[in-house]
Amino acid sequence: MRDMVEGIVLALLSLIAIWGAWQVPAASPGDTWAGIVPFAASVALLVLSGLVLLSGLRATQTGPDIAQERDTGTLDILILFAVALIYQQSFRWFGYVLPTAIVAPVVLYIFGVRNWIGLAVSMIACPLIFHIIFFELLGVFPPYGEVFDLLDWFRG
Amino acid sequence: MEIFPALLSVITDPTLLFAIVLAAAVGMIVGATPGLTASAAIAMLLPITFYMSPLFALAFLYVIGKSGRYGGSVAAILFNTPGTAASAATQIDGYPLARAGKAGKAMKVATISSVIGDFMGDVMLVIGVGFIAAIALKLGPPETFAIYFAAFVVIGSVIGKSVTKGLISALLGILVAMVGLDPISSEERYTFGSFELSNGIGLVPLMIGVFVLGEVFAQLEERKMAKGEVRENESDPAGHSLTYEEYKPCIPHAVRGGFIGAGIGVLPGLGSAIAAFISYGEGKRRAKNAEQWGKGALEGVAAPEAANNAVSGPSMAPLLTLGIPGSTIGAILLGVFLIHGIQVGPTLFFTDKELVYQLFACGMLGILAYGIIGYFGATQVARLILKVPVNVLYPLIFMTAFVAAYSARGSMFDVTVMTFAGFVGWLMRKFDFNVAAFVISFVLAKGAEETFRQALLMSDGGALIFIERPIAAGFLLLGLVAIGLRIRSIMKERRIAEGGLGDA
Repeated sequence: MRDMVEGIVLALLSLIAIWGAWQVPAASPGDTWAGIVPFAASVALLVLSGLVLLSGLRATQTGPDIAQERDTGTLDILILFAVALIYQQSFRWFGYVLPTAIVAPVVLYIFGVRNWIGLAVSMIACPLIFHIIFFELLGVFPPYGEVFDLLDWFRG
Repeated sequence: MEIFPALLSVITDPTLLFAIVLAAAVGMIVGATPGLTASAAIAMLLPITFYMSPLFALAFLYVIGKSGRYGGSVAAILFNTPGTAASAATQIDGYPLARAGKAGKAMKVATISSVIGDFMGDVMLVIGVGFIAAIALKLGPPETFAIYFAAFVVIGSVIGKSVTKGLISALLGILVAMVGLDPISSEERYTFGSFELSNGIGLVPLMIGVFVLGEVFAQLEERKMAKGEVRENESDPAGHSLTYEEYKPCIPHAVRGGFIGAGIGVLPGLGSAIAAFISYGEGKRRAKNAEQWGKGALEGVAAPEAANNAVSGPSMAPLLTLGIPGSTIGAILLGVFLIHGIQVGPTLFFTDKELVYQLFACGMLGILAYGIIGYFGATQVARLILKVPVNVLYPLIFMTAFVAAYSARGSMFDVTVMTFAGFVGWLMRKFDFNVAAFVISFVLAKGAEETFRQALLMSDGGALIFIERPIAAGFLLLGLVAIGLRIRSIMKERRIAEGGLGDA
């Protein structure tokens, strides 16, 4: 069953890739088509996804999977991924100080830290350490928060 | 001979020496920490190298890679968890030795053997690299493309359990590399009207995502699955010292392992883990005490450790002479070269010869540094690692990944790319796809495309040029033979497994 799902997803991806390569305009005379490598790679991907699909079909015909899929913390990964998406987007809106101060205890909590003092300390320590290392010592220009930036507020 | 002035210039630079020692210590700690890999550490540190000189940046990351390979043995021996895939063979005899109270002895054997193997690999690199570069200079676009093709196929089919999934991973890497403007005609590909995508997907955010954030996701999952207690090892004061008489039987295994590792290292994609297992198997076959192997033989630690470290130097040969990285660490180092505007390939030995040999010199001094740190401090490093709370370490790595991805180019789009790459990296690991093949193919794709299209222009669009030229045809054939052999070996393994089940 797993092979079949993988095969279908890959086949869809390869079809999108073939369509994308087909959108590349034709080459001018004496030149090579810019879509030739993407097109060849996506066709090869379609063929291989067909093989994965076939092996999935064969496995279903020979009998159901003996091993049952266990819950291996996928929900936690999805939560962490959602946090990651919100975190990167909030950089654009609020700079890095405020989002890091909020995300630090959340991620520590997801990883099992239950010490409330530790979580509170992380709210200040994490943005401070990153600020010193990346934005002061390395001289990287910090991302500017379009809606509200705590760093601007600190700096007056 | 160029290596001697290079060594002298590195030794007389205290800042560089300090960086080498620091990198040796960092690499060892990272390699010895189960779940942390040298690739992840290097990917995370990559943006910092923007602010360093090319030699400083390359030496720092190169030595972390070397020392990280060695550090994996500490975790394999002490915790029965290989810090790197390459140390899995060391675990077979290393952990029984630790259980018998000989952890210190095993770690000293691992250190000496790693130093022997790594040094042998580096010497062979220094001797052979100029020769390979001279040959590479004579290759035209069809031959170079054929080498790229062989590298794609070998990397895709040899690493990992499934040939199909390995090749799929390589193709996905190629397709992601195609996003953006075509470098020859400036036509847009896979940009879907997005201005940000027209610049392409950056190497740094992709690597940080796949290796660092993806690893954090994988570690979270592993922590949810982890069950059971770790038994304490026995402690025997006599088990920490190592005499010459005890190491003497290990010397032939270490030297053989060095040759095996160096030979495998030159071939892109095969990597340390394969070298370690071949060396272990070959050592056991030739050993006088073969019955002791697997139960705690010091020779069983020496053979794989020498081989897995000997891969490090020679794996730089295809990277520097052809621009083809043989490993993930090689792919990241290629990124450092590109970041600093240094073109990798045979001409590198004309344009930046001094830099190349200084890098080799740094590698050799790095071996010495991790050898000394490991011989006298491996036990202390292990104690330090046990004190690091993993549930604090990974959240910190999680947040560092975001700031590191942003720091590379000051681009928020890179942070978004890194986030998605991290999730894709985790998905690929979960569904047994090959992350290394994906990243290496991403790095190789543009060079391969360029040589492919140049070859087509040379032949007015005819594909026969790849078959008519003997070297090109040879490499294409090599790729096909590699797939064939791999499929045969997988089918053989399956037959043995089915036979074993049938007997049960």
